[in-house]
This record gives sequence, C-alpha cells and structure tokens, in this order.
Amino acid sequence: MNRTLLRWTVPAAAAVAVVAAATIPTLASADSPELPDRTPEELAAAVVEAEPVPMSGSAVYTARLGLPEIPAQMTGGADPLNLLSGSSTIRMWTDAEGRSRVSLLGTTSEYSVVTDGPEAWTYASSSHQVVHLTLGPDAQEHLADAEAEHAAAEAAGTLPTPQDLAQQLLERAEEHADVTVGDAVVVAGRAAYQVVVTPTDDGTLVDRVVVAVDGETLVPLSVQVWSTEATNAPALELAYTDVSFSAPSDAALTFSTPSGAEVTEKVVELGDLDAAPEHTGDVPDGVTVSGEGFATVVERSGGDLEALLTGDPAAVADELDHPLGGGPGEELFGDMGGGTELDRAALYEQLTTPVDGGRLLSSTLLSVLVTDDGRILVGAVPGETLLEAAGLA
Amino acid sequence: MSRGEALETGPATVAPAAAATTPAAAAREDAEVRATRGAFGRLLRSELRLVLGRRRTQLLVLLLALVPVLVGTIVRATVDSAFSGQGPGFIERVSGNGLFLVVTALFLCLPLLLPLGVSIAAADAVAGEASAGTLRYLLVVPVGRGRLLAAKAIAALTLVVVAIALVTAAALVTGWVYFGYGDLDLLSGQSVSAAAGFARMLGVAGYVALSLTGLLAVGLFFSTLTEVPIGVIAATVVVSILSNVLDSLPQVEAIHPFLLSHHWFDFAEFLRAEVSWSLLGQGLLVQLAWVAVFGSLAWARFTTADITS
Repeated sequence: MNRTLLRWTVPAAAAVAVVAAATIPTLASADSPELPDRTPEELAAAVVEAEPVPMSGSAVYTARLGLPEIPAQMTGGADPLNLLSGSSTIRMWTDAEGRSRVSLLGTTSEYSVVTDGPEAWTYASSSHQVVHLTLGPDAQEHLADAEAEHAAAEAAGTLPTPQDLAQQLLERAEEHADVTVGDAVVVAGRAAYQVVVTPTDDGTLVDRVVVAVDGETLVPLSVQVWSTEATNAPALELAYTDVSFSAPSDAALTFSTPSGAEVTEKVVELGDLDAAPEHTGDVPDGVTVSGEGFATVVERSGGDLEALLTGDPAAVADELDHPLGGGPGEELFGDMGGGTELDRAALYEQLTTPVDGGRLLSSTLLSVLVTDDGRILVGAVPGETLLEAAGLA
Repeated sequence: MSRGEALETGPATVAPAAAATTPAAAAREDAEVRATRGAFGRLLRSELRLVLGRRRTQLLVLLLALVPVLVGTIVRATVDSAFSGQGPGFIERVSGNGLFLVVTALFLCLPLLLPLGVSIAAADAVAGEASAGTLRYLLVVPVGRGRLLAAKAIAALTLVVVAIALVTAAALVTGWVYFGYGDLDLLSGQSVSAAAGFARMLGVAGYVALSLTGLLAVGLFFSTLTEVPIGVIAATVVVSILSNVLDSLPQVEAIHPFLLSHHWFDFAEFLRAEVSWSLLGQGLLVQLAWVAVFGSLAWARFTTADITS
C-alpha cells in the first residue's frame, strides 16, 4: 500500500477507536438485563413504602416543559428556578436516618439543601446566603418524629430527587392509572425495573410516567414524565448518572455556616405545613378540587399555593406562588430566594400569557391560571380545561 | 516519492533497514540511535528556548498575567462602593479571600484569552516556521519528522503551561497582597483551611492546563495544513468558539459530552466539598480523545506533506 495512505490510516484508526469507546458502553447498556419477575402493583407499592437507604449519587434533571429558557445571568447561578427549563445536575447524599444533602450544581455555583432531623438549611453560593429553618414549638408538638423530619425539608423547598419525585407520582398511580412493568433497563450502571404508569383519564397532559426502580434495593433511579403534547422526549426527566449505596461521609451531611454568610433564621409554624389536600382529604378553606387523579384541577382563592402543587418540582410551586401576594408560602420563598437579583415580576410576565380575565401559564405538563379576581387554578391539564373550570371559556 | 519524504528518511529510519545481523552493525545502530536521541534532546531544548524567548510570546504571557492583577486592583478599589460583589464567576468572594482570585482569573481567561494563547502557540509551531521559511532547515536536523512534531508540540504545551502558571502565580500574589488568605469557603458551604484551599487552587490551574490540550492538538493539525499562521489562529479560535456555541444549544444535547469545551468549567469541582474525580476524569478523557485524533492527524499530515519553505 502507498505509504502516504498508510500514514493517514492512523488518525482514521484513532477516530474509530474514540467513537467505539464512546458508543460501546451505551450499546451495552441497551441490552435488557435479567431481573426476577415482579408484578406491577407489587413494585409500585414497594417503591412507595420503601424505607430510605443510605446512598449518594449524581442525577441529571431535564425539563422540556415548553417554557422560555431562563438565562443563567437572570438567576445568577445555581437556583431552583433553573429547574423550570433545561438541564441541571443534582447531587444528593443521605444516611437514611434523617440527614441528607441535596445540591443543585451551577457552572460556578451551588445551591444546597441540608436536612438534619427537624432542622434544615439552604445555602446559595452565588448570593452567599443561608436560610436556617427550624420547627416552631407547636409544629413540633403536633407532628410525629418522622413527619417533623420531613416538615423542615419540605418548607425549605426541597430540590427534587428521583426518590421523591417517583414516590409522589406513584402514590397517585394506584387509583387513577394503569401500572405495567416494562423491559428492564440499566440506569447508572444498575439493572432496574421499569414501572410504567399510564393515567386512565384522557383529560390530563400526562401521557405516562416511567419510573426505573433499582432491581436490588428498589430505590427509584430515574423518573420520566411524558407529555401528551410532546412525544419524542420526556417533558420531565430526572435520572441518576451514578449512584453508590454506601453511607456518605459526615462532612457531606453536616452543615456549618460559612464565614461572612448572611443567615436568615426561619421558624416553621404549623400553619406553613398544610398538607396537600389529596393526601389528607382535608381541604382547607377557599380551595375547591375538581376532577380526580392526574386530571385534578385545584382552585384556590389566595393563600399558600405551594402545598397545592406537590407532585411537581418544588421550584415550579415556589415560582408560581410569588405573584399572588400574601401567604406564608410566599414569605418563605421570599426569604429563600431573596438573594438572587431576579425580577420575579418580569419573569412572571415572561412565563405567562394574557387571556380573557387573567393570565395563563401553559407548559407541556402543567397549566396555571391566575384570574384577575384573585383565583388560581392549577392542574396537569390543558389550559382550556382550566379556563372552563374558572368559567372564563 | 515526494521531496518531503526523501528528507524524512534520515538516520532514524535508515537504521532498522540495515537489519542488525552482526555485532558491528548492532553497535553502529546503537550509536545512531543514541545520536538521534541526543539530537531530539537538543532540538527540544532549542525549541523551548525559541518559544519562550520570543518577544511577542513573552508579551502575550505577560498580558495574560496582568488579568488577575487588573481584576484584583478593580475589586480592591471598589470594595466599599456600590459595585462591591458584582460580576461574573467568583468575583464577589475575592475581597474576602485572595485565593478566589485564582479561579476568578482563570474563569475570565478560559473562554477566550487562553484559547487564543493556545492558538498562537500552535500557529507559531509549524505554520509560523513555514511562513518564515525556516521549516525546511529544521528538517535537516537528524530527527524524524514525527519527533520534530513531538518537540514542537511539547514546546507549545510548555508555553501554555507557563502562561497558566504565571496567571495563577500573579493571582496568588495579587490576592495575598490585597486581601490575604483565609479559610476557603467552598461552594457547598463547608470550608477548608487556607493550605488546603491553596492546594485546591493549584488543582484548578492544573486541570485548566490539561483541558486545553485537545484544542492545542487541533491547532497543531491546522498548523501543519498551511503556511499562514494567522489562518491557524483564526481557525483554532473559531473551533473553540464553535464548541462553546454548540455546548449552549439544547438541541444538540447528545454531542455535548464530547465537545472540547464541555468540561472546561468543571474546574469548579475543586471548589465543592466532595470533588467528583470521575467527572474530572471524564473531562480529561475527552481531551485525550481529541489529542489522539488530532495529534495523529497532525502527524499523518506533517510526515507526508511536501515541505518547501
């Protein structure tokens, strides 16, 4: 062979080797791993009831909600608002005994939520601000220990982890959806069951929810929420890219206030902790619920919107309750996100479109209608359904 | 056979042809190999002298080192004004801890200035010599073309490393003089001692230097294609900008992990409580892949091209 040609085969071989090295792992993971058979109901129930296990890992969160991209300079680095669109990396550590850290990574910043029993801290590195949340005495008295542990974290506006998201979605699944088990997949290098939840109601924007559950520990490793409006990619995806089931180091789980950080103390009172109506069956004043399951529409006149939005990323909830004025949820969020130099009113304008008698936010998974007379309607349904429910259509 | 190839068939490639059948032949071959090795060492030393001794590269490195001094001075001057704590990267932390000036300076230099420096180093290496008409004289040196290219690459890499080292050193000195060092508050909220923080800053600088190797290989390949150094500079800078643009487009998410610049800012890992070595390793693997492909392309081109100037 011609020597010149022979020389050029070296870079060609290098390119082939690189492409092979990049693609072979993904091809290998495309093979369906072997796992013992389990019934769908059994799996879904096991996930909902599963006790947390000590673990740590990194997850990638991707939202394709059809909302306008929020430029990074608007949020000033890692901020829960980034969860509204685009991809974010989340790292989490938990010892399964009430201590955990969840961090949202920005390019050169980090937003962390650290929980230690009934206490929680949030730390935003870009604004160098700490929010320390503790339970008020009445709340502590009223709640069982286990509940108290979650309460502070929830009030802090928890960053989503695959476990939380999967639990919230599967809890609804049992009554209002068909649950099937798909082919086993490999997530974060582990063989996992795929639980597919298809809502029975046609009125919802949720086409199906796919949860990958670790074959061994039954910990949810990935959650995909597919919208009826976009069929080529999941509207919401949260999946571990690597995961380790060993107990994390103390350094990762403890919080010490960085020097010079601005600390805001926040006592969480019982009133801040209104459980979501669908969980307790106890509907607070001023709230009407219509529809059921995935097509539930919640209507509320003022108050704490955050609690109504469980089942969707906390950030969405946090964002939406801001323009409403008043309510402990907003107060809490104001404290939490106050450091980011963000014009939230402008963001609200950007995210919503004016309709007759109010403003409507429509995304591929969730619609929110804020009427001029102060009512808020939220549901995983098309915008028209909300307008009808509000009597505006 | 091209003239270039004729030139290349120097002692290094003749020796194996004269198969070592007798002890005398073997000894002769040994001597030749040793001579070639010595020649490579001399070539490398002269290359390093040339690259680091050039007035314009010295000026370029000096200007880069001025970035942290400038930023530090600005932060110092505005520390009590309304502008305090505003700006990109870690600038708001600098006034509290001089160590942060290292990351701030590298953060500011990484998108454009450092790729520009890399492009200039790569352009000067081969295309610069060709345009000055000195490349063909270099081929007379009893060193194969592959080794000549290796010497060029090592010299260019040294220039990049020196530039980053000087930026880091300037940042460390400026930061210490203006603000002093203290316990380093990590992005995660934990803090580490000033000594550990210092080590982490060196890690940042080392990672940044290594993550520019892929771009250097691309630049060297361009450099072997042409005799116009400015074209190499432009093309290499365009590659780095293009890589950044593609990295910001969600539509091509699938190729993001393989882009040259995708892992550049992962140096922030050194500022997190638990440094994810696997993520840093991925970034370096990507650079390795680019070096393998474009390094071998440069080699294939340089060892087969007609070199007339």
